[in-house]
Amino acid sequence: MNARLAACLVTFVLAASPAAAHTGSMAGGFLGGVAHPVFGPDHVVAMVAVGLWGAFLGAPAIWLLPVVFPLVMAFGGVLGIVGVPIPAVETGIAGSAVVLGLMVALKVRPPLWLAGVLVGAFAIFHGHAHGAELPAGADAVAYSAGFVIATGALHLCGIAFGLLARWPAGRLAVQTAGGAIALAGIVFLIGPR
Amino acid sequence: MIARCAVGAAALLMATTSARAHDVASGVGGFYGGLLHPLLVPAHMLALVGLGLWIGQHASRPRAVLLGLFAASLAAGVIVIVSAFAVTGADDAILVVAAVAGLAAAIARPQWLLVSAPLSAIAGAAIALDSVPQEISMTATFLALAGSAVAAFLMVMMMADLTVYWRRDWQRIAIRIAGSWIAASAILVLALRLAR
Repeated sequence: MNARLAACLVTFVLAASPAAAHTGSMAGGFLGGVAHPVFGPDHVVAMVAVGLWGAFLGAPAIWLLPVVFPLVMAFGGVLGIVGVPIPAVETGIAGSAVVLGLMVALKVRPPLWLAGVLVGAFAIFHGHAHGAELPAGADAVAYSAGFVIATGALHLCGIAFGLLARWPAGRLAVQTAGGAIALAGIVFLIGPR
Repeated sequence: MIARCAVGAAALLMATTSARAHDVASGVGGFYGGLLHPLLVPAHMLALVGLGLWIGQHASRPRAVLLGLFAASLAAGVIVIVSAFAVTGADDAILVVAAVAGLAAAIARPQWLLVSAPLSAIAGAAIALDSVPQEISMTATFLALAGSAVAAFLMVMMMADLTVYWRRDWQRIAIRIAGSWIAASAILVLALRLAR
């Protein structure tokens, strides 16, 4: 009996690993965070649409939206983390692609505050989805930095493409991209979840 | 029975490894391990970059005061650890620093000296207190902490200088966007820690 007990103890100890304060892998946590929005097509099209619309609206929206979006998204993320329910989060994310895509396609130019409120409202849905899936553990910092930066990079992609709107042919290309994003959003809305 | 116990004890001893406070750069210890520490711990990196960006948005004299405060509080934190005092909650304080500094850099209102001065002091102390090395000897501990303090100060100073020299519109916007990213990341992780 004692021998069995000793054997069990030895097995447990051999299977143990050292406790460390910073267990998270910088690269693993960061890349996991980057992958989260990048591999979610509904997130990708909505983020690109934010950048496209910002570029379409011109200054100061072109830089205000990428500054405001992560901060409001963090607020939505906090709601997701503490468990405050938001109804129809996935519908809100798909809806953001539809609405923002249409804004670009139809060349809608609302006042800056209204554009900010609209984008901010959608940012809460995106943040809630990210926050609810944020992993506990020491590499949560790298993970959250990864997905915030990936989100910002998608905005910048949209802005870069949206800058083509300075030329007539480019404007048509940007509006077409907006229409494609709205269509993709409709597919996400009616598709299986 | 005694033989079995001896075998068990031997197996336990052979399976143990050294206790490590921060296993971020295995194989690199002492001063150079300390130098790498702030660069390899994501929370430290966020706080240092955010604080540096915000300090850089201040005018010349307040900027020097804030850098001095940061250096002094780093040194104070090193002395506290070398004196064998243990402080808990430094990791949360670092995230608070990252959130506030990032938010302030995004808003770009550098005249809040009443906020930035205490925040710089808290940042330095918290970074030092959260950099307890795995070393056992006093000399090695001091060298590792000195390395961490030097790297942290250089990082903040470089970010502040970068902010000073980046004067074009798009560069200032890039700094504000970086600040908002840092604040968003720190706020999310703080919420995660407080919620669980």
